[in-house]
Amino acid sequence: MKPVYYPELDETLCLGVLENGLTVAVVPRKGFTKKLAYFVTDYGSIHTEFEYEGQHYEAPAGVAHYLEHKLFDMPGGRDVSAEFAAMGAMTNAFTSYDMTAYYFSCTEHFDDCLRLLLEFVSTPYFTEESVEKERGIIDQEIGMNEDAPESVIFEQLMQAMYENHPIRVPILGTCETIREITPEVLTLCHRAFYTPGNMMLCVVGDVDPEGVADIAREVLGTEAAPRGIRRKSWPDTMDCPQSLTQREMEVAMPMFNLAFKCEPLGDGEEAIRQEMVADLAAEALFGESSELYLRLYEEGIIDSSFGGGFETLDGCAMLLCSGDSDDPEALRDAILAQAQKITAEGIPQDAFLRMKRSAFGRRVRGLDSFDATCFRVCAYHLSGFDYFRFPEVYQKIEAEEICDFLRRVVTPQRCSLSIIDPIEKEEDA
Amino acid sequence: MIETKTLLPGVTLRCCRDTRFKQGCLSIQLVRQMDTGEAAMNALLPNVLLRGTNQNPDLRAITHRLDELYGASVSSLVRRVGDYQTVGLYCGFMDDRFALGGDRVFAPMVAFLEELLLDSPTKQGGFLPDFVESEKKNLIATIESELNDKRAYALGKLLKTMCRCDTFGLPRLGEPEQVAEITPVQLYEHYQNILRVSPMEIFYVGSAESEQVTELLLPMLRRLPRTPEALAPQTGFHPCEGRDVMETMEVAQGKLCLGFTTPITNRCPEFPAMQVLNTVFGAGMTSKLFMNVREKLSLCYSIGSGYYGTKGIVTVSAGIDFDKEQTARKEIFRQLAACQRGEITMDELTAAKEAILSSLRATHDSPGSIESYYATAALSGLGMTPEAYMAAVKAVTLADVTAAANTVQYHSGYFLKGGSQ
Repeated sequence: MKPVYYPELDETLCLGVLENGLTVAVVPRKGFTKKLAYFVTDYGSIHTEFEYEGQHYEAPAGVAHYLEHKLFDMPGGRDVSAEFAAMGAMTNAFTSYDMTAYYFSCTEHFDDCLRLLLEFVSTPYFTEESVEKERGIIDQEIGMNEDAPESVIFEQLMQAMYENHPIRVPILGTCETIREITPEVLTLCHRAFYTPGNMMLCVVGDVDPEGVADIAREVLGTEAAPRGIRRKSWPDTMDCPQSLTQREMEVAMPMFNLAFKCEPLGDGEEAIRQEMVADLAAEALFGESSELYLRLYEEGIIDSSFGGGFETLDGCAMLLCSGDSDDPEALRDAILAQAQKITAEGIPQDAFLRMKRSAFGRRVRGLDSFDATCFRVCAYHLSGFDYFRFPEVYQKIEAEEICDFLRRVVTPQRCSLSIIDPIEKEEDA
Repeated sequence: MIETKTLLPGVTLRCCRDTRFKQGCLSIQLVRQMDTGEAAMNALLPNVLLRGTNQNPDLRAITHRLDELYGASVSSLVRRVGDYQTVGLYCGFMDDRFALGGDRVFAPMVAFLEELLLDSPTKQGGFLPDFVESEKKNLIATIESELNDKRAYALGKLLKTMCRCDTFGLPRLGEPEQVAEITPVQLYEHYQNILRVSPMEIFYVGSAESEQVTELLLPMLRRLPRTPEALAPQTGFHPCEGRDVMETMEVAQGKLCLGFTTPITNRCPEFPAMQVLNTVFGAGMTSKLFMNVREKLSLCYSIGSGYYGTKGIVTVSAGIDFDKEQTARKEIFRQLAACQRGEITMDELTAAKEAILSSLRATHDSPGSIESYYATAALSGLGMTPEAYMAAVKAVTLADVTAAANTVQYHSGYFLKGGSQ
C-alpha cells in the first residue's frame, strides 16, 4: 500500500493491488469518527453480454441488480443487515449501468464490519425459493420506477437515442426479463464478475491502510481467479434515431430530458481530460452562470429545476440536461443556437478562468463528503485514473478545447428530446 | 465545541470551529411562528433576495460573483421546525487554505451575504416586480411538482389530514394560491418587519475563530434595526378527529400512509425511548416493518416510519399493490401491537440503539450535519448536545421502549390508489 500525498488538496491516497488481483484504496482521514467502505465490482446492468472461460453468454436484463439484492442472503439464515446493525453500522448497495457497489458506514467495530462486507459479497447463496421471493420485491421496485417520472423520462430518452447500446434497457430490467433469472444465472454472473481481479475496495476514514489490505487477504484469500470479459462497445452511430419522444403521466407540469450524443471515452488520463472538458463545456453552454441560463430563466422557459452535465459509461457518453419547462422545444432550439454563438465568438479568457476556478472549488468542497469521495475514487480508478490528480488536469485545459467540443457535439443530428406532459384532464364543459 | 454569543438583542451566533474540513458553512435564519398568512411569503423571500442586489443587479452577476469565490453556493433556507418556520440563506464555501495565490474566500463571502440580505434593489416601496413575479412562478412550480414524488405527496396529504387543528399540517412552502397573491410591496414590508422583530440565528462551521466571524458579521449587524419579539414556546400535537382518506390517480403503485400520535415530544424525558421505539418499529433495514412487511411478506419495496419529535407524530409510509391495502394495514398494526406488548428482542433493541448512536457520533463529521443538528436543536426545544443525547439513548431499557409504544395511538390514514379520477 503506497501512500501518495496531494498537497493542493491536502489528501493522501494509499493504493495497492493484492496477490488475488483486488485493488485496495484507502483515503486516511485523521480525526474523523465515521468510516466508510465501498466494495465494488466493475460490472453493471449493461454488461449482460460476456465471455467467461471460453464461452459466450447473454444474461437476462436486470441480472446485475437482482444479484445485488440476493447477495445479502447468507447460508444458515444469517441476516447481514442485522449483523451490521448490531455493530451500529449501516449497510446498503446500489447497481448502476456500469458498476455495482456494496458499502457500509460505521463509527466503531470497523475491522469486523469490513470482514462482514467482504464475506457477504463474496459468498453466493441462492436457493430456488429465495430467488422466487425476491421477484415480488423487485416487481414492486419496478412498479415504483414506473411511477417516477424522472426514471421514465430518462429511459424513454435512451430508447430514442440508442438502437443497440444496452443503456436502452432499465437497470432493473423489466417484469418480463427478471422472470428468466434463476439461481444458475446468478451463480454464473457472480463467478464471472465478483472475482477479486474485477473488484475494488475503497475505504475513507481514520483507519490503518495495511490493516485494510490484511483483512482483504484474510477474507478473500490470495489466489487469483479468471474473470468475465464484458462486451464494452456497441455499433451505434452518432446520430439519434428519434429526435423527439413524448408521453403523458401524473406530473404537475411538462418535464424534459434533452441530450446530445458524444463519442464514448477511452481509459486513463486522456479520458478524464475529455470528461473535464465536457463538464466545462456544459457549464459554458447552460451552466448557472452562462448567458443562456440567465436569459432562459428570466424569460421563464426554465426554472430552478434546470440542471445538466456530462454523463459517460462503457460505450456511450452524452451531454444531458433536464428540468421542468412549458416549452422544451424552444429550449432545445435556444441551446443549439447558443452553441453556435459560443463557437463563433470563442470564450473570453477571464470568463474561462472564472469557470475553471469555480469547477475546481466545487470539486474541493465535494471532498468533505465521504460518500462522494469514495464513489469518485472508485469510478475514476476503474477508468484508469487517480481522482486526486484533478487539479493538474484542470490547469492544462484550454478554452479552445471547449469550443471544439461544442462544435462537434451540439448539433441537431446528435440531439434527442424526451418530454413528459401532464395528463389532459377533461375540463368542465 | 459550540460557542454561543448574543450579538444583538435576539441575534444569536453559534460557532463551531473545526479545521478538518475543506469547506465552511454559514447560515442565517429568521425564526417565525408557522402561520398560514405568511408561510408563502417566507418561502418566496430568499428566492427574491437571490435574484440581484444593487451592486450585482442580475442573476448572472450573482453567479459570477459566486464563481469567483471558487464555486461558493448560496441557497434559500426555509425549514419547518415544529411550530416555527425559519427563513434565510445557507452559504457553503471552500476553505481559504485551498485558494490559489493567497486569495481569500470567507471574508468576501460574508460581505456578499450582507449585500444579498440588505442591498436588494427596490421600486416604489417594493422589491422589483420582475424578480417577484418570476420567483412566484418558480415557487408555484416547485410546490406543484411535489406531485411528481408520490411518496412525499402522500405523506404531505396525510399530515394535512391529521393536522387540521395544528400548523404542522401547513405545507412548508405555503399553498400555490397564497403565493399567487403576494405583491412586491407586501413582500418588502413583510421582510422589513421580520428583519426587525424576528429572532435571528446565525450558524458558522469552519476554520475561523469566533472572534473573526463576529468581526466580519458586525458591519451587517450594525445595519439591522432591531426591536425583537419573543416567540411562543413549541407545543405538542393539537388534536382533531381522525380520518381515513383515499385518492385515485393514474399510478402503477399504491402509496399507503398511516399517522399516529404520541404525547412524547423532544422536550420530554421519554424522548430517547420514543426515538428507539420508532427505530425498532420502522426505521431502517432491521426494523419490524422492513423485516416483516417487505422481507417476510414481500408486500412492498419501500416501507418506513418517521417520528416528528417536535410534535409527537409517528408516520408509516409504504409503496404497495392496490389490492394489498388491508393486508398491509393489518400487518403494520400487528407490528405496532407487538412493540406495545414488549415483544422486542435484545438484538432489535441493540440494533436500534446502535443505529441512533452511530448517526449521533457522526454528527461532527460534516459541516452540513453539524449545522443541521445545532441550528435546529435549540429551536425545536431539544436541549441536548449529541453527547448528552447519546448517553440518554444508551440508558434506554426495554421497559422504556414498551412504555413509549403504549402511548402511540392511530389517528388518520391516506391511501393513493391507481385508476382514472
